[in-house]
Amino acid sequence: MSQALNTDRGLTYPGNVGCPGCGANIAVNHALRALGEKTILVIPACCYAIVSGPYPQTALKVPILHSAFACSAVTASGVRAGLDMQGDTETTVVAWAGDGGTFDIGLQSLSGAAERGDDIIFVCYDNEAYMNTGVQRSSSTPYGSRTTTTPGQGWKKTRKKNIMEIMAAHRVAYAATANIAYPDDFMRKFARAREARGATRFIHVFASCPTGWGVASGHAIKIARLATRTSVFPLYEIENGTDYTLNAGGDLPVGDYLTVQGRFKHLAPEDLALVQAEVDRDMALIQEKVAATQVRRAFFKSA
Amino acid sequence: MSAWSRPPLLFPVSHTTTEANRTGAWRFARPVFRPKTAPCAAACPAGIDIARVEMFAARGRLHEAWQTIARENPLPAVCGRVCFHPCEAACNRAQLDAPIAINALERYLGDAALAAGTPLASFDAPDLGRKVAIAGAGPAGLAAACFLARLGVSVEIFEAAAEPGGVLRWGIPAYRLPKAVLAREIERILALGVGLHCNRAVDQAFLAEAAGRFDAVIIGVGFSAPVRLHIPGEDRVADGLDFLRRVQTGQTEAPRGEVAVIGGGNTAIDVARTLLRLGARPVIVYRRRRRDMPAFIHEIAAAEAEGVRIETLLAPVGVAADAGGVRLTLQPMRPDQPGGDGRVRAVPAGQAPTVRHFAAVFSGIGAEVGAFWHRPADEAETLRLSHCALRLGQHPIAYVGDPVTPANSVADAIGSGKQAALALHTLFTEGPRAVARALQDCRVGPGPAVSLEIYQGAERAGRASRTVAFADINTDYFPVAARRHPSALPPGRAAATFDETLEALAPGEALAEAGRCFNCGVCNDCDNCRIFCPDQTVQAVRDGRRIDLDYCKGCGVCTVECPRAVLEMEEESA
Repeated sequence: MSQALNTDRGLTYPGNVGCPGCGANIAVNHALRALGEKTILVIPACCYAIVSGPYPQTALKVPILHSAFACSAVTASGVRAGLDMQGDTETTVVAWAGDGGTFDIGLQSLSGAAERGDDIIFVCYDNEAYMNTGVQRSSSTPYGSRTTTTPGQGWKKTRKKNIMEIMAAHRVAYAATANIAYPDDFMRKFARAREARGATRFIHVFASCPTGWGVASGHAIKIARLATRTSVFPLYEIENGTDYTLNAGGDLPVGDYLTVQGRFKHLAPEDLALVQAEVDRDMALIQEKVAATQVRRAFFKSA
Repeated sequence: MSAWSRPPLLFPVSHTTTEANRTGAWRFARPVFRPKTAPCAAACPAGIDIARVEMFAARGRLHEAWQTIARENPLPAVCGRVCFHPCEAACNRAQLDAPIAINALERYLGDAALAAGTPLASFDAPDLGRKVAIAGAGPAGLAAACFLARLGVSVEIFEAAAEPGGVLRWGIPAYRLPKAVLAREIERILALGVGLHCNRAVDQAFLAEAAGRFDAVIIGVGFSAPVRLHIPGEDRVADGLDFLRRVQTGQTEAPRGEVAVIGGGNTAIDVARTLLRLGARPVIVYRRRRRDMPAFIHEIAAAEAEGVRIETLLAPVGVAADAGGVRLTLQPMRPDQPGGDGRVRAVPAGQAPTVRHFAAVFSGIGAEVGAFWHRPADEAETLRLSHCALRLGQHPIAYVGDPVTPANSVADAIGSGKQAALALHTLFTEGPRAVARALQDCRVGPGPAVSLEIYQGAERAGRASRTVAFADINTDYFPVAARRHPSALPPGRAAATFDETLEALAPGEALAEAGRCFNCGVCNDCDNCRIFCPDQTVQAVRDGRRIDLDYCKGCGVCTVECPRAVLEMEEESA
């Protein structure tokens, strides 16, 4: 007779209404394992607003406050202020927004909170389009992607906005990229963000969307891992907006990642070469900043 | 304050959970936790659960790793030295970088258990009240004794020589298998309650007498007669196997000067390397090409590194007396079309034979049965299994070892002894009709080897017989890593002594090497399935993983992220 060893569902209830293979669900599971039950989520309009349960249901054992699309960051700031009034210094307040609610519609609110240095963790779980409403392009949608608003030959010809550089420009205390395919790195970063209280922390989570990207649901993790192994989505941390640490990149060609997805199927070899050049340049920039950080640290240490 | 200045706060709050949504209804395929057979295990003639051995070893759980080997093979330290390791040829990791050093790891674990004095598990089987006599204390007889004892049968072994071990004792030189290692592994088998009578050659009179005293007899006397060359002057050719035996009993004399060793198999290599250590200059003379030599490649390389010369495409056609030695007539050969056995035949090349002087000529071309009754007769009542033959009837006789195994190796002999033991146990407990079926049911995957653990209905019995292919492995989890090699004595030093030429893996190296193993088809609790399930429907339970099918949407992430093909998707029936 089998004896249960670990039947723990963590802080979730079964029966969420996410698509099979939903990367956002995997992201929430990883994040809550690191954050613990003393967590409040503020969720603007996005996939996870629905996945976590349409009224009157909830899929989480931690409180969720649903906000309007444009204001998850400032709502989280408000929740934080309320908790401070109550003398609760233990609870972590997390804004949990999709790329639409971060890169586009939520950007002014996020910028405001970051400029004020509000004591929140802002998480963007990035699936690179407005998936919940039917795969419309966002400013996070990468170059070459087909969406319902960039269909056919009108596939997106502009690159993805670099949200990490925007947050670095705000000199947030801690910013990091995390990938659902790297659970140890992912949870370490969330634990670190939880501990870095008193300042704004930002985590850019790569959360694959099999439905919107045109990959098999079972490949949700595999495709996310490829994003890092091709350096399309390198894993790195930025402290105080200036100090860079690289955790993981990779040397696989971008074609390994792009050509297995329906949204990029139409790209010609010259398009892939263009993406490769862009990825290489971005990676070189990060490496320059990592090197500069090391030089600066060595200088201050010796001084 | 009026109601206008403080309107009621209308704030919808969830009051139920998503548990009401039985998302399992969305599913059209379900993940199934189905451990499978690793290709190494299916290729192992002794049926060792190698993937599980390496899983324990990688975690430093050496005792459990060794027990896993010893359950199927009571001679790990011996096999870790002398096995031809077909497991490594079958290893899926070869398609990524290099196969796991399974043989070296077996030796490492075998030595660790000898150092710790760990006894063989007896499995506390109830006494069946049956007695079996075993003729021959070679690897097949010893294995049969071990498995019969573990199944509650009392066993007595009768051995013609003064000490047990057979080919392991007399045929394999000490530089490959130190005799202390062999002696201690045999002691451990005898400690299961096995009786051993040395200097007791079994003959047909014994068989007739044994029929009354024993419920069955096992004949495992191996090959005892040298294969003849059938050339003029053959009486001047020394028998290589006899030479190896005499060296084991203390002979240290060898002819001085150049000595010819005829053959291309492991016996020829053993004879040549032994002659070298006793001061001769051996030359191996082989009738086919170098690549056709049946000896292990690493043994050929070691022999050459030590100074053994190899001359190929030369067939001996005559031997004659010569002053201070013999004259050997050699016919140059050329390769021809493959013969019936698929091996390239050698035919005379047309040149005239050459005559060469040697201090002596040894044959190293192997052996055959010493008497007709050492192998089963063609009788209707004889049940032929892959590695043994069982004569049923009033006085059952099981034939094991070289005369009945498809390949003449130590591992095949062990598998043969085990097969006979399980067959006799079934015969005693369920009768003759049940034997074939019972042995079929405890096979390791599609391979011929049988498993005691499967026979006992333990965990391994729950594995699917399908073997895991390289394509089933998620190599994202296995970065390329160099295979660890045990260090060897420098050839110059090795050639001067009978000390063991290969050393054991260093402890850290052994664990790292075991960590390279894919553990094909065996759950090692990596927990990927549980960690990555978007819907948290995977639960870790004592005997594996359970899927909550009320909520599993059938996305397949767990199956794709299972690095070792334990989980698989199965379509839902309509």
